[in-house]
Amino acid sequence: MISFSNVNKWYGEYQALTDINAEVSKGEVVVVCGPSGSGKSTLIRTVNRLEEIKSGKVTVDGHDIHAPMSSAQLNRMRSRIGFVFQSFNLFPHLSALDNVMLSPMHVSGVKRVEARDRALQLLDRVGLAAKANSYPGQLSGGQQQRVAIARALAMEPPAMLFDEPTSALDPEMVGEVLAVMRSLAGDGMTMMCVTHEMGFAREVADRVWFMDAGRILEASDPESFFRNAQHPRAQRFLSDLRSH
Amino acid sequence: MESVIDIIRDNWLLLLIGQYPNGPLGGIACTLILSVLGIVLAFPLSVLLALARLSPWRWLSWPATALIYVARGVPLLMIILWVYFLVPLLIGHNVSGFVTMLVTLVLYEGAYLAEVVRAGIEALPKGQMEAARALGHSHLGAMRRVILPQALFNMLPSMLSQFVSTIKETTLGYVINVPELTFAANQINNQLLTKPFQVFFILAVIYFVVCWTLTWAATRLERRIEAKRAGQAVGRRRGAKPVPTQTLAAEP
Repeated sequence: MISFSNVNKWYGEYQALTDINAEVSKGEVVVVCGPSGSGKSTLIRTVNRLEEIKSGKVTVDGHDIHAPMSSAQLNRMRSRIGFVFQSFNLFPHLSALDNVMLSPMHVSGVKRVEARDRALQLLDRVGLAAKANSYPGQLSGGQQQRVAIARALAMEPPAMLFDEPTSALDPEMVGEVLAVMRSLAGDGMTMMCVTHEMGFAREVADRVWFMDAGRILEASDPESFFRNAQHPRAQRFLSDLRSH
Repeated sequence: MESVIDIIRDNWLLLLIGQYPNGPLGGIACTLILSVLGIVLAFPLSVLLALARLSPWRWLSWPATALIYVARGVPLLMIILWVYFLVPLLIGHNVSGFVTMLVTLVLYEGAYLAEVVRAGIEALPKGQMEAARALGHSHLGAMRRVILPQALFNMLPSMLSQFVSTIKETTLGYVINVPELTFAANQINNQLLTKPFQVFFILAVIYFVVCWTLTWAATRLERRIEAKRAGQAVGRRRGAKPVPTQTLAAEP
């Protein structure tokens, strides 16, 4: 579904991603972890071309994301990839419902009535039907992030990307967001999640990718990653986590 | 003081509407119409200029930037004279002082407002544009539905103070015989000859009352917007409570 082949990215003199080769299959949940600055967010942001790459290829559903294309084509491609940000980025001038309805109406051209029905369903799915008319400023961080997930789902993307979706949340709100993500995974959504939630990784992920210094050092199933990480850098990362 | 009241009593209609209906509409009416039309027409121009200036295409951003720099770097009176002599040459027939002044104000205020709009857009978190683009909105679509509604709302107070400046700038129309308030006051002064202090005192008071009222309204508006934003920020605040250690984000 999502595949990286020989992806390299530079920020000026600094190489942010080095020879990334990896694949997320359909219906698979991949958790990307690693120390901060290791390139996790950069990697996930190349998938919908929020970051450009220097060389290599990123494909989603067979489409080459970084091929030269018109901006209309790029917009269409982006609309088919759900993206959830660390800082939610809800549109503060719109109610929760309007946040979810905006893109189906103005990007996909869905009729208002239809978009509204679908948005209400999605808000219900993330447990926020009662908050449809609230503005982002009136919602807690966890609620905002759940609306953001509903907003991404409204475009009916075949794959969802999560860039540290719980890192900006108060601890007591992390659970509600993870619960929504867990149920999405249960429904067979293809997901790529950058997260520090190792409990989530262990329980929900099919694969864990460990990154450091712009490389994927280890890609394995969570069971063997947590029990028996091969790379010394991954072992140190895990032991640092445990010592907390 | 008595003569001030006398002057007002004898000339209030001239100060209010000029020589209308026997001549063009003038006085305060002309000043306000010029200012309102000026700002209303300058507003769409300023949004276009700001978008052009921020656009990723150089062939669009450079001319817009140049226009803004020139308009902001040249005295208003200079632009008035340029328009006064240039526009008739370009379109082949004379235009009234009112139209000249209006064109000038639209250009000048458009350039100033464009910088206000640009600041409003750039003050928004980068994530807003990113989120809109990630959902598949085009650059302009995102501007229209996500960025501008927020930026323009935040800028309402600045726009109102720009409107106040515009009112004060209409006085310069005097030099090209636009029959606005200053022109009317000068007519009165030329009639009376001996009472310049009283006449221009009246003029200053009128400008002050109009502009001060609007400035006061702008301040009120600013406070309301700030209060509204603060109300929103409460929900967004995080990390206010001490973090309980057993639920640290990274659990082994």
